[in-house]
Amino acid sequence: MAAGYFGRYLRLDLTTGVSTRVPIDEATLRHFIGGVGLGTVLLTRETSARFDPLGEESCVAFAFSPLVGTPITTSAKFAVVCKSPLTGRLNDALSSSDFAVLGKRSGHDAIVLRGRAEEPCIVLIDEAGARIEPCADLWGTEKGISQLDEQLQKRHPGFAFAIIGTAGEHGVRYATLSNGGRHAGRGGIGAVLGSMRVKAVGVRGRSPISLHAPNDVLEISRDLAKRSLGNATAKYRELGTVANLATFNRLAVLPTRNFQSSQFEGADALSGEQLQATRAQGRGSCRNCTIGCEHFFSARRGNETNRVKMEYESLFALGPLCGVDDPDTVLAASHLCDEFGLDTISAGGTIAFAMECAERGMLESYGEESTIRFGDAEALLELLGHIARRDTPLGDLLADGSQRAADVIGGDAPDFAPHVKGMEIPGYEPRGLQTMALGFAVGTRGADHNRSGAYEVDFSGEVDRFAPNEHAARLAVQTENRASVIDSLILCKFLRGVFAETEGGLYAAASHMLRAVTGWAIDAAEIEVAAERICLAKKLFNIREGWSRSEDTLPKRFTEQALQDGPAKGAVVQIADLEKLIATYYETRGWRSDGSVSQEHIRTYALDREFASLT
Amino acid sequence: MVRIELYGVPRLRAGVQAVDVQASTIGDALLQLQRACPQLEPDVLTGGKLNAAYVVAIDGGTLTRDPQVPLNAGDTLVLLTSQAGG
Ligand code: SF4
Repeated sequence: MAAGYFGRYLRLDLTTGVSTRVPIDEATLRHFIGGVGLGTVLLTRETSARFDPLGEESCVAFAFSPLVGTPITTSAKFAVVCKSPLTGRLNDALSSSDFAVLGKRSGHDAIVLRGRAEEPCIVLIDEAGARIEPCADLWGTEKGISQLDEQLQKRHPGFAFAIIGTAGEHGVRYATLSNGGRHAGRGGIGAVLGSMRVKAVGVRGRSPISLHAPNDVLEISRDLAKRSLGNATAKYRELGTVANLATFNRLAVLPTRNFQSSQFEGADALSGEQLQATRAQGRGSCRNCTIGCEHFFSARRGNETNRVKMEYESLFALGPLCGVDDPDTVLAASHLCDEFGLDTISAGGTIAFAMECAERGMLESYGEESTIRFGDAEALLELLGHIARRDTPLGDLLADGSQRAADVIGGDAPDFAPHVKGMEIPGYEPRGLQTMALGFAVGTRGADHNRSGAYEVDFSGEVDRFAPNEHAARLAVQTENRASVIDSLILCKFLRGVFAETEGGLYAAASHMLRAVTGWAIDAAEIEVAAERICLAKKLFNIREGWSRSEDTLPKRFTEQALQDGPAKGAVVQIADLEKLIATYYETRGWRSDGSVSQEHIRTYALDREFASLT
Repeated sequence: MVRIELYGVPRLRAGVQAVDVQASTIGDALLQLQRACPQLEPDVLTGGKLNAAYVVAIDGGTLTRDPQVPLNAGDTLVLLTSQAGG
């Protein structure tokens, strides 16, 4: 087996309680690297077509990577891959720190959970295997995730835990999985684990990580650490991602009031620059990271002051998208999401959608709850609790996400429900960033800014962001390919600017790292093929689960209603233009014009073992 | 007169939100910006040229890194980092 790997994963069947060490052949590891790639192929192999993500046959794969446990900066990461109960499609989320390192050092390249436990439980995994412990006292409590984490660590010293909150227990379709204050946020992993009756997964281990050329790994680590402190990461270190808000507002791409506007009159108070000047409470970082993009801010609520980590996506979704301009409220809302285990983007997106429905008089049957309005800070905070607990009619409705809520509400609600494939749209206004509009439309995870970096194309100055051409579509494909490699190595995407400055770019750097860690004679070209294979595997999983061409689109709001704000005034996604971009995207990927994939193409990427039955 | 608005790291470095310059192209405007705010070198500008991570938007609309683009009196340039991830 190549160095850097153990060549096996641990499968735990929660229904029977039996755990098994399953070998992984070296060809699979070389084809999929680790992280998202490895998680995708294991999920595919462990499940059969069209399984219910919340049913007894569901499955979650935690996948590590060859770089976990090395000193390479930002490498302490893991992927969690499952079928999303929000989208019904592939869901791959990433998180970091102790869980990644201890999980891998338990002696496994991945951990796969299947089935459903008899009663609420925690799962403990180490070198000896897996054990299931009942945890009735932790299920159904009012405690937030950070308190549960402390309690679990006292009970089981030496373990690192990934935990679901109240939202996961109640099957909120965008419930997160949290570990050490970080979140595998999107797509409802927390709901899948909740349906398996797993409250937490704990990992520990001391298995040594083998390295093919330790001195080379050390040299690569030192070099990358040094370069990670350069210009390419200055924004993340000095302001964090919250820096986006003021800039996006100026460019009129800041989604506001459920995407009815793209500039927000309250943006100044919420801007990263302002938060930094008035509320900074220091920085933090994931384990083994030299960048440290986490910025903390003080949030006051009554007599209480909390120190809250804030990211742009949470800031936009719980602020401008809901019309809320009070920083204390937005910070408190983000803190609540973290403690309940709610994805901030989907929570904000779904509530903003409900606020618009309420303003249009479409929620009359929800009584008191129909009075919510944009900018209503208290309603926002209260609704988060009702969603997490599903304890009011509106909370229960919104816990299923904006797409399902729109179907229930009816009328023209589906036209302005802000999602693609059921996944709420992140903080990039598609009409002002039209390469990103393509990225959202074709995304395998739904509307997503982490698997497609097409916004980079819009921001590059190389294309017209209001009217991107075919070249832009091809560049969008490249951003997905690069993301799939970064997510499979796994490293932090905030290093991508550093790799862009590297001779040979990301693929050369990745091959250099993998050669030193694994001993494989792998070159940049092989990494690029792996990138394409991983993207293809995600797409094929979706086809297996029922993907249809009509999913690759945007809600009518973006194709029929022009923006009215500032420099984006008049911008709309012309459906014919979007279709052209999608056609170029499919063609560049080597797919048929209807987005399906030929067996020949599947064989080219050696995916026929997993997807032989697709035509 | 052309106004250059600064966001994010450029604003932190320069210590101001905007600078007014007389310029007929983007290249001219950036050269004068560097003279007015020498602290922007080396992180944001080098010799009046944008570093790789930066881009300007004319009146907040079209994004470009091309120094030859002509400007008219009354135009606004928005200087921002092109790395928008988060
Ligand atoms: S840059 Fe930020 S997100 Fe990335 S590894 Fe470091 S602290 Fe974590």
